[in-house]
Amino acid sequence: MILEAVSLVKRFGDVRAVDGISLTVGQGEIAGLLGPNGAGKSTTLHMLLGLVTPDSGEVRMFGLDLAKNRTEVLSQVNFSASYLGLPGVLHVREVLNAFARLYGLRHPRKRVEEVIDLLEIGPLARRKVVELSSGQHTRVQLAKALINEPRLLILDEPTAALDPDAGDRIRAMLVRIARESGTALLITSHNMREVERMCERIHFVSAGRIVATGTAAELASDFGVDDLEEVFLKVAREGAVPA
Amino acid sequence: MTTSPVMPMDSVEGAAGLAYPPLSPAARRRRIGGVVARDLAALRRSPIRVFEIVFWPVIELVVWGYVTLFLQAQKVPFIVSALLGAVLLWQVLHRASNEVAIGFLEDIWSRNLLNVQVTPVTPAEYMTGLVLFSLTKIAAGITIMALLAYALYGFGLLTIGIGLVPFMAVLMVMGWSLAIVAISCVLRFGEGAQVIAWSLVFVFQPLAGVFYPVSVLPEALRAISAFVPATHVFEGMRAVLNGGAIPWDRLGAAAVLDVAYVALALWLYGLTLRHARTKGRLSRFGE
Repeated sequence: MILEAVSLVKRFGDVRAVDGISLTVGQGEIAGLLGPNGAGKSTTLHMLLGLVTPDSGEVRMFGLDLAKNRTEVLSQVNFSASYLGLPGVLHVREVLNAFARLYGLRHPRKRVEEVIDLLEIGPLARRKVVELSSGQHTRVQLAKALINEPRLLILDEPTAALDPDAGDRIRAMLVRIARESGTALLITSHNMREVERMCERIHFVSAGRIVATGTAAELASDFGVDDLEEVFLKVAREGAVPA
Repeated sequence: MTTSPVMPMDSVEGAAGLAYPPLSPAARRRRIGGVVARDLAALRRSPIRVFEIVFWPVIELVVWGYVTLFLQAQKVPFIVSALLGAVLLWQVLHRASNEVAIGFLEDIWSRNLLNVQVTPVTPAEYMTGLVLFSLTKIAAGITIMALLAYALYGFGLLTIGIGLVPFMAVLMVMGWSLAIVAISCVLRFGEGAQVIAWSLVFVFQPLAGVFYPVSVLPEALRAISAFVPATHVFEGMRAVLNGGAIPWDRLGAAAVLDVAYVALALWLYGLTLRHARTKGRLSRFGE
């Protein structure tokens, strides 16, 4: 198993932001974490990345306990989120080169050129990050997220700032990477079509708990609706759980 | 889009061959180099930052230089070299403290801190990278100031002699420890605490007897000043410039104090980092 989270709990004051979430992601699997704003998705992702320490529960990756093997685990994981920035004054190639080194790569420059080709951002390589559009910034963030050929890639709304064409190409690329290299992906998104198309397993989170898990078709069937968007609305508005 | 080279999935070390084993010295050197490379690139791309290396030190040197020229006219020549030496060595402490803190703050300002925190870089490696990069800027700033002091006022920093090396080393280490304390305050109290990064070092200026001997301080402050590493440097500098020998015993005491300062600062950093992870404050730096 690539990722195994067991009974994660996180309280902030009186608020139970995450209330006993358990989930697994296997090699090459693309899993989705869905839920309304404030459901606990980002806190869960941040616990998986070691940014937030759980009050209780355990995160294991590649058979290792994250809390005790932080450096070994994080060298094989990467993360991209639409709300994160990059050093604005640096050229794109310099940013990627710095991250290649932060991940301890043997040949950082070679790998930087590979991800530049992979994300088709060659024309941006000599531009400052601060000059990029939000869509271009997202592609550079994704290049950063692939720099260490991660075994687990955690993406918080990866295509939020992309136009439909760029979004579709990025989705296709991510699926191909999962298929060909066995990279596991854990994704949050508010784009239901994206989740339906990419994710083999979807975890619905509400009020800090996973209230349903399954494929898009299974979830629609369980909730007695036609598609994932209606499942989302039922969970968000009615706090519904599957029949 | 092209396909990523396939990585082997049967190794706990991940993309074997792509990266050094995460705990190896080579990986640690590479990660520290990553912090340095990023900051060097930022410096190269930002004329404002280059300007800043020169601007404040030059302003201080000019102001204090003319003060000393005035004093020289009053027939107190020792004061001239003591003040100019103090201005130059104060810059070592000041820059060491500010540059490391700014390196960290730039990650916050660019919302890049979480990107760095999810890499395998350890806190010690991150701090080492910031410290190594600060050396570059300190060296550049001090070289320019020393040349200017010689050109404008005929004061040669090297007249301090071999003692200059330990003097500067003690001040840099103290400056770095203050920077780590300032960073810890930002982690604990949020971005609003970044003013501490600029001001903490000035708390020590009156105590350390930068521009006057600590003998003029009240007894209570004099007792406290003995526990400030910089005090021993500035007292030592005045002794040397007055024709005395390098006070190695005082430098030894300052080095011991430096070790204590760094140890305390790193302990505080570890504590506040754990606290920030527990309270979810680290996540908020990405918002």
